[in-house]
Amino acid sequence: MAENSPDLGGKIGYVVLGATKAEDGTRSVSYRLGGESDLPFIGMKTSLGSIPLVAFEICDDPSYWSPIVTSYTGDLVSDTPEWATAAEQQYGADLVRLYLTSTKRRGFDDFPSITKVTEDVLSGTGLPLVVEGSNEPAIDSEIFQRCGEAGQGERLLLGTAEAGRYRSVAAAAMAYNHSMVAQSPIDINLAKQLNILLREIGVKADHIMIDPYTGSLGYGFEYSYSVMERIRYAALKGDTDLAMPMIASAMDSLSVKEVREADPVIRDDIAVAWEFYAALSSAVAGASIVCVRHPKTVPLLKLAFRELWAGKKPGEF
Amino acid sequence: MVLKALDIYKLLPKKNCKECGDPTCLTFAMKLASGKGDIDKCPYLDLNAKNILGASTRPPIQLVKIGVGERRFAVGEEFVVFRHEKTFYHPPGIMFQVSDIWPAEKIESVTRRVGSEHFVRVGTDLTFSGVAITNESGDPDVFSKAVGVVEATGTHIPEVLMAADPVVQEEGLKKCGNFRPLIYSATKDTYKPMCALAKKFGSPLVVSAKDLESLGEMTKLCNAEGITDLLLDLSFPSLRDYVPAATEIRQKSISRSAPELGYPIFLDTTRYEMQDTALVLGIDKYAGVIVTPALGPASSVATLTLRQNIYTDPQKPIQMNPGIYPVGNPGKESPVLLTVNFSLTYFTVQGYLESSRVPCYMFIVDTEGLSVLTAVAAGKLNETLVRDSIKKFDLENLVSHRRLIIPGYASPLSGKIEEETGWKVLVGPRDAAEIGDYLQKEWKI
Ligand code: B12
Ligand code: SF4
Repeated sequence: MAENSPDLGGKIGYVVLGATKAEDGTRSVSYRLGGESDLPFIGMKTSLGSIPLVAFEICDDPSYWSPIVTSYTGDLVSDTPEWATAAEQQYGADLVRLYLTSTKRRGFDDFPSITKVTEDVLSGTGLPLVVEGSNEPAIDSEIFQRCGEAGQGERLLLGTAEAGRYRSVAAAAMAYNHSMVAQSPIDINLAKQLNILLREIGVKADHIMIDPYTGSLGYGFEYSYSVMERIRYAALKGDTDLAMPMIASAMDSLSVKEVREADPVIRDDIAVAWEFYAALSSAVAGASIVCVRHPKTVPLLKLAFRELWAGKKPGEF
Repeated sequence: MVLKALDIYKLLPKKNCKECGDPTCLTFAMKLASGKGDIDKCPYLDLNAKNILGASTRPPIQLVKIGVGERRFAVGEEFVVFRHEKTFYHPPGIMFQVSDIWPAEKIESVTRRVGSEHFVRVGTDLTFSGVAITNESGDPDVFSKAVGVVEATGTHIPEVLMAADPVVQEEGLKKCGNFRPLIYSATKDTYKPMCALAKKFGSPLVVSAKDLESLGEMTKLCNAEGITDLLLDLSFPSLRDYVPAATEIRQKSISRSAPELGYPIFLDTTRYEMQDTALVLGIDKYAGVIVTPALGPASSVATLTLRQNIYTDPQKPIQMNPGIYPVGNPGKESPVLLTVNFSLTYFTVQGYLESSRVPCYMFIVDTEGLSVLTAVAAGKLNETLVRDSIKKFDLENLVSHRRLIIPGYASPLSGKIEEETGWKVLVGPRDAAEIGDYLQKEWKI
C-alpha cells in the first residue's frame, strides 16, 4: 500500500554469508543480506530487501553464560557442537553465532581447541556461522587466525572489530574470505569512521556488517533503536560508508534486573519477551540479523518475520 | 501548505484584546505558525479564517484527549518521523479489551487491574491506559450494561466504546459520555450519526476505511460535520500493512502534504494472532491508541518498558536530582558511594545496594544524565564537580570519615579527586552486581 519514502536514492549493499556445496563450501544454505532501498517495510513492492535472520547464540564455555539458558537447556550446553545442532534442528534458527568464551579464562593459551571447536560446530550444523573471537587483545591475532582458517571456504561472519581493535579480525577475514562484524558504541559517526578504517586496510564493503551495539530493552535500547534508524536512513539517502546490513544483539537481555530477578515460574517467559521485543524492534529499525540466546525466542521471531516480510524465505528476494 | 506568521496575522481580527492568552494578535500568529497554537483560543475569528487556518496551523498531527481526570491521556501532536530528530511526545494509550458478552466479574476484574496495576521502572510509574469495551452481543442493552459495569468500578480510567452500530454506541455513551470515551468507529455509512454522537458527548472519534485514501476522505467528511478530534483506524486485515501505512501517514502529516491524514493512529491488535508482534509494531511505529487483550505478566512489563524507551527524550536521559540518598539507615560512619545522576545508573546501583544490606549513602553528582563511562569519556564527571558537590550537599557534616567509594569505571579520576577534595578515594568494582561483596569485604571503619 505504501508509496516509497520521499528523497531516498541510496541502496543497502549485499553481504553473503555461508557457502553451499555449489559455492565450494559445506553449508546447507547461504544467505544474501541487504538490498533494501527504503525504510523497513516501506516500498513493499520494490525494495523490501531480505527477510531478517534469527541467529542463535551459543558459546564454548557455558560458565560464562546466563543461568537462565543453562537451566532451561540442561547438559546440552556443555557439548558445543550438539548445542549448534539443536539451534538448527530444534529451535529453528537461521544462523548460529558461536562465542569463544573459553578465551576469557585467565592466561588462555589452548589455541588448538579454537580450531577444533570451530570445526566441530561447522560439522554440528549446516547453517552459516558467526564466530565471536577473543576478549583479550593480546591473543586476538592467534584466535582469529585459527577460526578463520578452520572456516575456510564457509564464508563465516567474524566478530568483532572495534575502533581500537580491528586489525586481527580484518586480517583473518581477508585471508580466508570471510565477512566481519564492525561494532561501534551507539554512534553513527563512529560507525562510519570504523567502516572507513576497514576499507582503508582493504576490507570490501560487501564483507562488512554494521553492529551499532544494542542495549537491552529498558537498558539503553532506545539509543540503539535510534542509531539504527539513523544509520539506515543515512545509507538510504546515499551515504555508502553506512550502506551495509546491520546485526543486532541485545546480549545483556538475560542479565537485566527484570529478567534476572523474575519469579522463577515466569522467568523464561520474561526472558523471551525481553529478547523478542528488542529483536523485533531492531528489525523494525533496520537490522538484518537479530541474535538471541533463549531457545523459545527463536520460533516466535521467525513467525513474526515470515508474516511481516510477506511470506519470504530466508535468502529469498 | 505551511503559512507564515504574517500570512496568518492578516487573517486575524487585529483587536489585540489578549483573550487568546497572547499579548497581541501578532504573537498569537507567530505561535500558530510554529504549530504550537490553538486557533480556537481566539473567539473573534470568522469562519473563513478558521477554515483556512484550521488545517495548516494546528500541529501536523491533531492532539486528541481521551478520558478525564487523573488518568486521562492525550495522543497526537507529534512533530518528527524519527525520534532522534527531536523526540516523541505522546506515548500510545494501551487499552485492555473487555467484551459485553463476558460475565460482569470478568469485565470488572480486567478494569480493576488496569485501574490499580503499575510497574515502577527507573523511578517512573508505568501503567496501562484504559479499557476498550467491545459490543459482541449486538444488543444495545447488553452493551450499556457492560459499560455500566466498567463505570461502577469507580476506577475512572479512559474507555474506548467499540460498537459499530450508532444505536448501540449511543446506549454506551449514555453511561459514560461525560468522561470523554473514544468512539469506535465511523465508517462511510455511519459517519453522520457517529459524528452527531461525538458532538453531543464531546467525544473523540475513530474513523475506519479500507485504505489511506478513503481514510483521508472520511476525515474531511467528519470535519464538515464539525468533528476534528479524530483517530485513523489502521487495523487492516493483514498486520503486514500496518507499518507501511503508519509510516506513510506520519511522513505525509509531518510534511503537511496530506493534512487530511494528520491524526493519531488507532490499532486494534485483537484482530491478529500475533499479539506481541502487533504491540511492538504499534509502539515503535506511531500508534496513538492500541487495543489489546489483557496481557500476561511477561508481555505486560516488556510492552510498558518498550513504550517507555521509545518515548524517552533522546536528548534528555531520564535523570535523578543530584544529592545524597540514604540506603537503609546509614549513620556517621556509613560508606559513601559516588555515582552519576543517570536514573538507569542510580536505580541499578540502588537495587544492588539494597540487597547488600549495608546501610550507606548514595552521593549523586550532576553529570546531566550521563552514565558513568559516558560521563567520564565526555569529561562531565571530573574532580571539580566532585569537590563542588561535596560542598553543596554538605557531605562533610553528614559523615565523620573522609572516604569516598567511586565506580570502578571512574578509576582514572581517583588521584585527581583525592587531590582536589582531600578525601581518600576507594575504587569500587566496575559491575554494580559486585558492590555488595565489595562492601562486606572492604568497608571497615
Ligand atoms: C548508551 C550510551 C551512550 C548514550 C548516553 C547514555 C547515558 N545516559 O549516559 C549516548 C549515545 C548519548 C552516548 C554518548 C557518548 N558516549 Co557512550 N555509551 C553508551 C553505552 C552503550 C551504555 C551506557 C549505559 O547506559 N550504561 C548503563 C549504566 C547503568 O552504566 P553505568 O552508569 O556505567 O553504571 C554501571 C557501573 O558503572 C556501576 N556503577 C555505577 N555507579 C557506581 C558507583 C559505585 C560506587 C560502583 C562501585 C559502581 C557503580 O554499576 C552500573 C551497572 O553495572 C556505553 C557502552 C557500555 N556498554 O557501557 C557507551 C560508552 C560509555 N560511551 C562511550 C563514549 C566514548 C561516548 C561519547 C564520548 C562518544 C560518542 N560515542 O559519541 C559520547 C559522550 C556523550 C556526550 N554527551 O558528549 C564509551 C566510553 C569509552 C571509555 N571507556 O571511556 C563507551 C564505553 C562505549 C565504548 N565502548 O566506546 N553514549
Ligand atoms: S484573541 Fe484574537 S483578536 Fe484578541 S488578541 Fe488574540 S488573536 Fe487578536
